[in-house]
Amino acid sequence: MNIFLLYLVLLKGTMTAFAGLASLPVIQDALVFHYHVLTDKQLNEAVVITRSTPGPVGLYIVSVGYFVAGVPGAIAGWAAMSTPALLIIPLVHFVGRRMEHPRVKGVLQTEVIASAGLLLAAAIPLAHDALTDPVTIGIAVVSLVLLLVTEIDTLWIILGAAGISLSASSIGVLSQISG
Amino acid sequence: MADLTNKCPLQARPGLGRMAWVFVRYGNFTLGGGSATAAILRRALVEKRHWLTDEQFTLCFALGRITPGTNLLAFCAGSGWALRGMRGAITSLLAASIPCSIFVIALTALFSYWRDNHLAQEAIQGAIAAAVAITVKTCWTIAKPHFKGQGRLRVVLVSAAAFLLYVVAGIPAIEVLLLAGVVGAFLPAPRA
Repeated sequence: MNIFLLYLVLLKGTMTAFAGLASLPVIQDALVFHYHVLTDKQLNEAVVITRSTPGPVGLYIVSVGYFVAGVPGAIAGWAAMSTPALLIIPLVHFVGRRMEHPRVKGVLQTEVIASAGLLLAAAIPLAHDALTDPVTIGIAVVSLVLLLVTEIDTLWIILGAAGISLSASSIGVLSQISG
Repeated sequence: MADLTNKCPLQARPGLGRMAWVFVRYGNFTLGGGSATAAILRRALVEKRHWLTDEQFTLCFALGRITPGTNLLAFCAGSGWALRGMRGAITSLLAASIPCSIFVIALTALFSYWRDNHLAQEAIQGAIAAAVAITVKTCWTIAKPHFKGQGRLRVVLVSAAAFLLYVVAGIPAIEVLLLAGVVGAFLPAPRA
């Protein structure tokens, strides 16, 4: 895939999202379903990688870029992640004093809420790809409960999930369950 | 509301090198996502070094939340701009994004390298299952600040409409978001 096109596709995702993973449905639409240069598994891996390293969640775009086109793709991802940040400067000038305007607040709030609904929709194919047996389903359910009711850092949840999956595989639990 | 055009006083303006170091140090090595990192940066920029006033920090943080893309990077660019103008914005943006991007590239390369390693794949499979939970939980994280009072109905209706338009009607995500923006302009003002 052409690097500039990849940058534009990723930029389309980041420019229409107001939180780290909120761009995921647009990226998934374009790279997984339209261009077929990324798989749902790689998209899931990008989320894992980003949550296992320090820094903002939006970094998953860099990982996505790498999966699509290696280091040049990662650079395109970094550029797509960084470009919208500079919009804060005109925002200071033009929107800063109008932030309290009901219409501006209404547009921003509706965008944010819609992105939550879209993200839930994007999770369906990701779950379909990742939750393939009782162990992975159990890990996802327990992880979700822990995320909702505790303050445990996602890094520990990811590491714990990896450890449980590895242990289950090692002691043959997977083969017993499937057999 | 604080005015960012009243930039850092000349005597308190840090050099670009010192500024870059602060953003490299505190913007790249904090686990816990953007909010945790912003809290650490507040301590460094406002409390410890007095480079920014509390009002400037608050305005940068608020505008970062409504800037498209990664909120934390917008916050860093805004803080850098308040400190040293455009050169400060670019310096802080590069300092806060390049080192952590290199970590991510290295880890992604490792994931690709481990593709044929059975044990690594088993561990990754478990981690990916947790990532699905993280994605679902993020939906709630995004919607939660608006899920209060009369806003609850709006959250349910708008998010359900977006979900159904995307999943059932097959409308691309970008078009759903554009439609949401148009609808939002005509909905009654959200209450604080």
